[in-house]
This record gives sequence, structure tokens and C-alpha cells, in this order.
Amino acid sequence: MENEDVKLSSDFVSSFMNAFNEELPFNPFDLGVKVFGSPEKYYSALRKTAIEVARLKTEKELKREDRYGIMLLKALDELNNSINLLENKLEDVKEIKESEITKEMEEEIRRLKALRRELEGEIERVMEKIAPNLSAILGGAIAARLLEKAGSLEKLSMLPASTIQIVGAEKSLYKAMARMKKGKPAKIPKHGVIFQHPFIRTLPKKKRGKMARFMAAKLAIAARIDYFTGELREELVSEVRRKYEELSRS
Amino acid sequence: MKAKERVKESKKILHNVYLIEKGEKRILATKSKYGSHYGEKRFGEFREWIPTRSKLAAMLLKGYRVDIKPNWKVLYLGAASGTTVSHLADIVEKGIIYAVEYSAKPFTKLIELAEERRNIIPLLEDASKPERYSGIVEKVDFIYQDIAQRNQVEIFLDNIRMFLKEGGEGLIMVKARSIDSTAEPSEVFEAVLRRLSKQVKVVAHDSLEPYHRDHIFVHVRLE
Ligand SMILES: C[S@@+](CC[C@H](N)C(=O)[O-])C[C@H]1O[C@@H](n2cnc3c(N)ncnc32)[C@H](O)[C@@H]1O
Repeated sequence: MENEDVKLSSDFVSSFMNAFNEELPFNPFDLGVKVFGSPEKYYSALRKTAIEVARLKTEKELKREDRYGIMLLKALDELNNSINLLENKLEDVKEIKESEITKEMEEEIRRLKALRRELEGEIERVMEKIAPNLSAILGGAIAARLLEKAGSLEKLSMLPASTIQIVGAEKSLYKAMARMKKGKPAKIPKHGVIFQHPFIRTLPKKKRGKMARFMAAKLAIAARIDYFTGELREELVSEVRRKYEELSRS
Repeated sequence: MKAKERVKESKKILHNVYLIEKGEKRILATKSKYGSHYGEKRFGEFREWIPTRSKLAAMLLKGYRVDIKPNWKVLYLGAASGTTVSHLADIVEKGIIYAVEYSAKPFTKLIELAEERRNIIPLLEDASKPERYSGIVEKVDFIYQDIAQRNQVEIFLDNIRMFLKEGGEGLIMVKARSIDSTAEPSEVFEAVLRRLSKQVKVVAHDSLEPYHRDHIFVHVRLE
């Protein structure tokens, strides 16, 4: 008896999860009421199942979503390498002789570039979903790079603003520290990954440090909100924009 | 409760929705049996409905009404953690809300809300793929959408086509920057209105300032 119950409910869960239909010729509600006997019973079953399915799906998603973003970015990097390499080789070959095979190589490169566009689009979409605040401030591509360098959204959310500011500039930081140890003059890098952002890049040199510091402080908050609640806070983005406008005017 | 904070007067503006004079302030609130969901205050039988957190609250505070009925069936797109859904659930207490959200993290809090209430069906789905939930969502009286996506208008229209009853109402909260981050908001809004009126009747629209910058609501009807 108990077994049957379990079976019925798990069947219901799986049919719920597979309810991918084109537009239905009937209203699910009408069918549901027929099957369950009354609207109350139908809604009660539907709600229970929806909650069960929702729990299963969120658990699965939460475990893998930042990994997915990071892996996509790594794949994109590899793809970029391949495209560059192929393009260089193709040039070399063409210099000697154009042939059927060089045309095929060109075709292949075009395909890889189309794939690259798709990957970039998917990265934007994924980032907007898993880190809406970081994405709104940085754009999906830079946000993904920051996430990749940090290793996970959890780790990123624990970084202080001063570290976020130079994530991606570790190499030059180590170099600078090595120089200083030897008593030589050195410049501490002011910005890492986030330096790619137009709000920093387009400012005059002497204002970039200020902007990077401000942005990093907001990013530290953004990373925490993204990690803990995942909800967009519009005011964070507008504060960064306002700071940029202020700095680019003055 | 301090004397100056006592409720002076309350005015019902929709089923279970009240404008309350409290001390010097005018507060929007829903009559609710339930506890606080997102840090909003409870007082007496009311839950405060905060306009900076909910665009629907902002619209109501600006004086515009969509006459949401207690038995309405609602499709809500972009439910996030359920801030607005929680108040809407107070309003449609005899109806049902299909709440769609595609991001898992805020959704976990929406699941908690659905467990507490009886009239919320949480769906972790992408609103741009309505065919993925068309076996579950029925024809509804009202579609509400608040998603900051470039193609939000198409998403809205697709869902209207699939799920809105004839004569049903729709409300979309549009954020200019999410559609085009460089264009003038007013131009973006004009394009949105033009696109919408090809498919549905635009009943009204207005800005949500000062509560939400560069946002408008558009109320539509399927005729
Ligand atoms: C501004 S928030 C909504 C706030 C909510 N309406 C409230 O007032 O409580 C926008 C939400 O839409 C979600 N969203 C964006 N695109 C979506 C899509 N294609 N399908 C489902 N949800 C989406 C985001 O994840 C985000 O949680």
C-alpha cells in the first residue's frame, strides 16, 4: 500500500518535471479537476508536487551553477587560443600557396567563431542569473573572469575589497613585492581584472585608482549579495555609475 | 505602540490592500494572516508593503489601480524571492499564483513562502521558454512580469499568447537600461509601447519615480 503511494507520487513528480509541451489543446486545470475530483484537491496536489520538484531542482542547480559559468569561461579561453593558432597557421600556409584545404580551414575558423559568439552569449546569461549584481556592475564577461580567478562565488564573496581590486594582477603584484624586498622602487598594481571595465579604462590615469577602489568596494558587497540571496540591488549599480559620472566630469 | 504612531485612518484601495495614515506617514499595507517575509514591518493585522522593494507597491502608491480580484488566477514572471508575490498572495487569497523564477538562489526563499501559503505554485523555469511550463500553468486572469531582460517585451507577449484569458489583464514593469543601456529611457519606453500595442490594448502607463529610477509600468488587456 505504502509502496503504491510512493510510486504514485514519484510518477507525478517526474511527469511534472517533464511537462514540456507545446501549447496544449486543453486547460491543465480542467484535466486536473477531472483527475483529482475537485479544484481544492487538484491545487493541493499540484502545490505539493511543485514544491517537491522545486526543492530537487534548486538543490541540483545551486551545486553546479558557478562551476558551470567558470567551465564555460575556460572553454572560451581554449577556443580563443585555438582560433588564434589556426588563423596564424592559415596565414603561413596561404603565404606559400592557396588551395582547397586553405578554404576548408577558413570555413572551420568561421564555425569556431560562431561557436565563440554562442559561448559568450551563454556566459552572459549564466552570469546574470547566478551573479546578478556583479554582472550588472561589470557586465557578464568581466564578472565571469573575476569569478574564475576567485575560484567560486563563495570564495569571491569572502574577499575584501582591496583584494577584489587586484584580482587578476597577482603576477605584477608579486613582481612588485619582490622588487621592494630587494629595496628597489616598485609600483603596487591598482587594478586587475576590473581594469578592463570602461568605467576605469576611459578615465584619465590619475583618477583610475579612485574609481577602481570605489568599484571594488561595491563589488565586494555585490559578491556577498549574489552569494547569499542572489537578488539584484539596483542602487548598487547606480552608485557605481554616479561615481563614474562624477569622476569623468570633474 | 507609541501614541503618535497609532493608526489614524485607513482606506481600502483593493481587496486586502490599505492605505494607512500612521503618525505622519502614509503607508501601504496588505491585510495578512502571515508573518514578515522580507523584513517588512507587521502591525496589527497588516504587513507593510514597501514601494522601493516592490514595483507593484510603487504603482499603487502613485495612485494607479488594477482591480485585482480575490479569486484571480495569476501568472507571475520574475518572482525572485517573493517580495511582491507575498503581498499579491494576500490579495488573491481565493485564487492561485503560478510564480516563475529561473534563478535558484532567490527561489529557495520563494519555496519557503509557497510552503507557508496555500495559493502559490513555485516554478523554477525560464520565462522565455513558456512551453516548458505549459503543461502546468492554466489560463489565467492576470499576468504580471518584472524581469530585467533585453527581450522582456517578447517574453511578456509570448506568455500572454499562451496563458492569458480573453479579456485578461497584464502588467509589465519595464526597466529602460535592461533593454538598452545607452539609449534615452524615453525612447526605449516609446518603442516598448509601440510593440505592445501591436498585440494587446495598452490601458495605461506611467513612471515609477521616485521609487524606481528609469522604470515604467504598462497595464495591458487582451481584447
Ligand atoms: C527585479 S527582480 C524581480 C523582483 C520581484 N518581482 C519582486 O518584486 O519581488 C527580476 C527577477 O527576474 C528574474 N528573471 C530574469 N529573467 C528571467 C527569465 N527569463 N525567466 C525567469 N526569471 C527571470 C531574475 O532572476 C530576478 O530574480
